[in-house]
Amino acid sequence: MKYKVLHTVKLCPSHLEVDGNRIAEAGGETSFLTDLYRRLGLDYPKFFKMDILSKVGFLASEFLLEQEGGERFVPRDDRAVLLFNRYSSMHADQTFQETIAHPEDFYPKPSVFVYTLPNIVTGEIAIRNKYHGESNFILLPEYSEQAMDQAIERAFLAPGTSSLLTGWLEALSEKEFEASCSLITVH
Amino acid sequence: MIVRKIGENIISPLGFSVAENFAAVMDGRSALQHYDHLWGLPFPCFVSLLPDDILDKAFTQEVDQACLPKKPCTRFEKITLLSATKALQSTSLDPSSPRVMFILSSTKGNVSLLADAHPDIERVTPVHTAQLLARYFGNPNMPIVVSNACISGLCAQIEAYRCLQSGQFDAAVVVGADVLSPFIVSGFQSLKALSDEQCHPFSSVRKGLNLGEAAATVVYAVGDDNAEGWQMLAGAMANDANHISGPSRTGEGSYRALMSVLQSAALTVEDLACLNVHGTSTLYNDEMEAVAIHRAGLAGVPVNALKGYYGHTLGAAGILETLLTMHAVEQGVVPATRGYEENGVTMTLSLSSSSVKISKTAFVKLLSGFGGCNAAAAFTNDACRR
Amino acid sequence: MELTEELKTKMIEVLNLEEMTPADIADEAPLFGEEGLGLDSIDVLELIVLLERNYGIKITDPKAGKEIFASVRTMADYVAANRTK
Repeated sequence: MKYKVLHTVKLCPSHLEVDGNRIAEAGGETSFLTDLYRRLGLDYPKFFKMDILSKVGFLASEFLLEQEGGERFVPRDDRAVLLFNRYSSMHADQTFQETIAHPEDFYPKPSVFVYTLPNIVTGEIAIRNKYHGESNFILLPEYSEQAMDQAIERAFLAPGTSSLLTGWLEALSEKEFEASCSLITVH
Repeated sequence: MIVRKIGENIISPLGFSVAENFAAVMDGRSALQHYDHLWGLPFPCFVSLLPDDILDKAFTQEVDQACLPKKPCTRFEKITLLSATKALQSTSLDPSSPRVMFILSSTKGNVSLLADAHPDIERVTPVHTAQLLARYFGNPNMPIVVSNACISGLCAQIEAYRCLQSGQFDAAVVVGADVLSPFIVSGFQSLKALSDEQCHPFSSVRKGLNLGEAAATVVYAVGDDNAEGWQMLAGAMANDANHISGPSRTGEGSYRALMSVLQSAALTVEDLACLNVHGTSTLYNDEMEAVAIHRAGLAGVPVNALKGYYGHTLGAAGILETLLTMHAVEQGVVPATRGYEENGVTMTLSLSSSSVKISKTAFVKLLSGFGGCNAAAAFTNDACRR
Repeated sequence: MELTEELKTKMIEVLNLEEMTPADIADEAPLFGEEGLGLDSIDVLELIVLLERNYGIKITDPKAGKEIFASVRTMADYVAANRTK
């Protein structure tokens, strides 16, 4: 399918690339994800409540949308969020399981349970940017350009959708994550 | 292009076919039960569970064990395979064709395996089960799993619809399934979303939802204009952009999805036999849906919710509830909203605790879920216009 | 440690208030709404778990929680009166 790539972002534990340029390297004592959040200069304390999948997806989306420029935070429904991965919300699942594993200390954590769904990150991005368009999370058995292209083609069949924030988003731990996302449009 | 239903199945504690399930609903039966300490959990709950012995018997009878891996299947894998098998039995579709796509809808798949001492992480992922399913039927395509919380079952049907519309495939097998486990039940409990009594959709006494187990399958294929039966007309999703676990007070996403579907399907209030809604019986969901329906000008259309029979069946709900509503509309009836008592939402809907006769032939299915997601889809059956 | 200070420390931990210290939270400051800490419905549920786990207090109705969790002061008063551990 023919679509135009507006901007791309790649985020992994060692570095961040925006539109093919390496703009940040991991280093130092603090978490790379927290460093990137501070680099953005945001006042968005909700970030610290997110699970790792959402943090990685949130940061990837922020760096993409920073590149796009223009007016942000105006309600719109022409942009859909469509993300993919293989392991779903595995890290949050394992964290929540830990809170129910011991009968003598059984305190299931609500703030962890809400993140045991992969599509929560699409919601976080929609909330931040006031996107009322489609939000969708698809799990694939492996990273597959073909399968993602097909899903992108389907997403553009929605009558109101003219651009997509889309890509692969996997986060298994603070040290194992990958976001490879882009902003694309049909025009 | 016409997207037509050519196969269907429901596996639930109320039956192993759509017909059995529909009969149970019309009889007012439910499998929801009270448990003081289900699986040793330190709180009571009211859920619907599929007994192992009944599931195992059907599974060994219907599913070709020789085509399965040596490791015994989990309950989740069993209901998924069983439902797809039974749905495909009634069709002439060759599921091994490269023109057929398999789509799984599940929220938590095999998550209960995480309680094992050394969990098989690969097997926990829902894609593992999707591959098991596609391989069992000899299908060469990479299957996908739609994981969009409670709206997954409608999103999966929307993906199927678009697979056919775009010409990517000629048919899609859409299976929705979830089984309950301490993980899911204690999670919903931690959100204070569960009622330990029968749920009461849209009622003043409602205090939370019930959870249930089920699998449901719908098979869609490109149809010709002259054939009869159910068509999927349109589907849409929209986000509230409000909160990850609380629905929008203005019903924003639900309203937008609903309006989009009515427009795409060219349906008006006069065409609709009913709205089959989410109706979980939580304080906020039901209020939100009532607001969205009023905003869309559909307050006069008969509304029903099926959670009082099955509980919330998570990844299966969108498919199970769509199939039962198709059967109901075919019979010219909107089933009673089991558990509905005195209205408890600020904007009154046309709900009823007994079944209502109808004569129209199109309906809209609504769902909403965590992550602020909402979905709507429209269906019609011209053949039942008599 | 005073109960109010103890609660603030625990709150910062369970609510992931990463950029705050106990000194940033006034005893009387509203925990909800724009002027206060801006806590939301999931935070209330976490505070309920906090009280149960640390002080043996069970709150079944999240709505009742709204009054208890108005400020750190109201929370401390409630804990002092109802704690079982």
